[in-house]
Amino acid sequence: MADNNKFIVSHAPFWHDGSKISTRNYNMAFAAFPAILLGIIYYGMSAVGVISLAISSAIIWELAFCRIAKRPITIGDGNAAIIGLLFGMLLPATAPWWLVIIGTFVAIIIGKQIYGGIGGNAFNPVVVAMAILMISWKDIFDFNEALINYDFDFAMVYPLAALKHFGVSAVDSFSMGDLLMGKQSGGIGATFGIGLIVGGIYLIIRGIIRWEIAFSFLFGVFLTALIFNMTDSARYAGPVIHLFTGYTLIGAFFLATEDSSSPVNFIPMLIYGAGAGLMTVLIRNIGVYVDGVIFALLIMNLVNPLLDKIKPKAIGKVA
Amino acid sequence: MISNKELQIAYGLAIILLVVGVLSYAAFPAKAQEEPVRLMFKCVAGKILFDHKTHTVESGYGISCSDCHHNLEEGETNPQACGECHEPESQDEDVPGRADAFHAQCIDCHKESGAGPEKCELCHVM
Repeated sequence: MADNNKFIVSHAPFWHDGSKISTRNYNMAFAAFPAILLGIIYYGMSAVGVISLAISSAIIWELAFCRIAKRPITIGDGNAAIIGLLFGMLLPATAPWWLVIIGTFVAIIIGKQIYGGIGGNAFNPVVVAMAILMISWKDIFDFNEALINYDFDFAMVYPLAALKHFGVSAVDSFSMGDLLMGKQSGGIGATFGIGLIVGGIYLIIRGIIRWEIAFSFLFGVFLTALIFNMTDSARYAGPVIHLFTGYTLIGAFFLATEDSSSPVNFIPMLIYGAGAGLMTVLIRNIGVYVDGVIFALLIMNLVNPLLDKIKPKAIGKVA
Repeated sequence: MISNKELQIAYGLAIILLVVGVLSYAAFPAKAQEEPVRLMFKCVAGKILFDHKTHTVESGYGISCSDCHHNLEEGETNPQACGECHEPESQDEDVPGRADAFHAQCIDCHKESGAGPEKCELCHVM
């Protein structure tokens, strides 16, 4: 037996190590902060308005639901706040107030509470809300149209839209450095690559998200984009564009890793992440949607219970 | 188990951010600029993103206002938007419809200067 110590359990009393759900969630907010800060620097008070309203309305929806359903008030765990925060990060800075409020309603009530609250949801609430809203009001999520009045020192064409409509030559001017520094149009908190990566690594080190999911997702995007690019580099952009534009990075570190909708075992986590990465690039390259992250994650959320059937062998059992 | 302190933080967060959010939306409404940066034209053949600023600034193509806004009087600085006269369906023979006006304006100029898209799919995006 490799490690017998694993099976030795001391008797009570036990000592709680002090970790709480709220600590995890506020750590996530902390990790997301650099990316949001850059969004606020670029888009000013509009971005502040969207993010603030998203967080507060998410908390209020959860509070309202708990009261109406006569369930314990769960807003203290910070999960509603983090759902609102992540949802706000994906929106364009020009998102109207009613869209934010409808979005957090869908995320909190339809995405989470009707499944029984935290930990019960089959799909990532933020992704459910985004998917429903993107299909319902697609013009608002057309970043070229939404951010039409913003003028910065970089090209304000949404890279993935340019890629889809005008081909690889239209995105040649985007350098990896600029994309990582957030010099691209997109969601409020979704464009600052370095900020998202640093935040993600912080969460991985703190043990809040699983590196297996985040990195296998990025690897899936990279490999699929590379294969497409190698088959026809005139039609399909290289991996750099796919990795650092759209919702790829925020998806890898903040959306795909959501606890209750992602697998828990090693192999399933790798399949889940890589599958979502693969689907993302498939949707971007041959699907009709400009960005595929949201729908790819939704599909992989659906597969998640099946993936978790792949279990490690029970230790000590004779085959 | 959720402590009282956590609940208070959540209530505080909800109230403060609600106030900040409502104030941000109310005090800083999205306003269109005097001179548009980019314009999105919409029609049955999809959307067309037009970079107004790049066409007008000196570091871009440096086209003067009156080159396109053809009814501009001498010294007048506030041109009308194209769509004010060029309606989608033109009833007036002297005023071309919106599509014809844009097609003539854009494609002719692009041909003349040997730059810029001339083919449909290079502007129109479904």
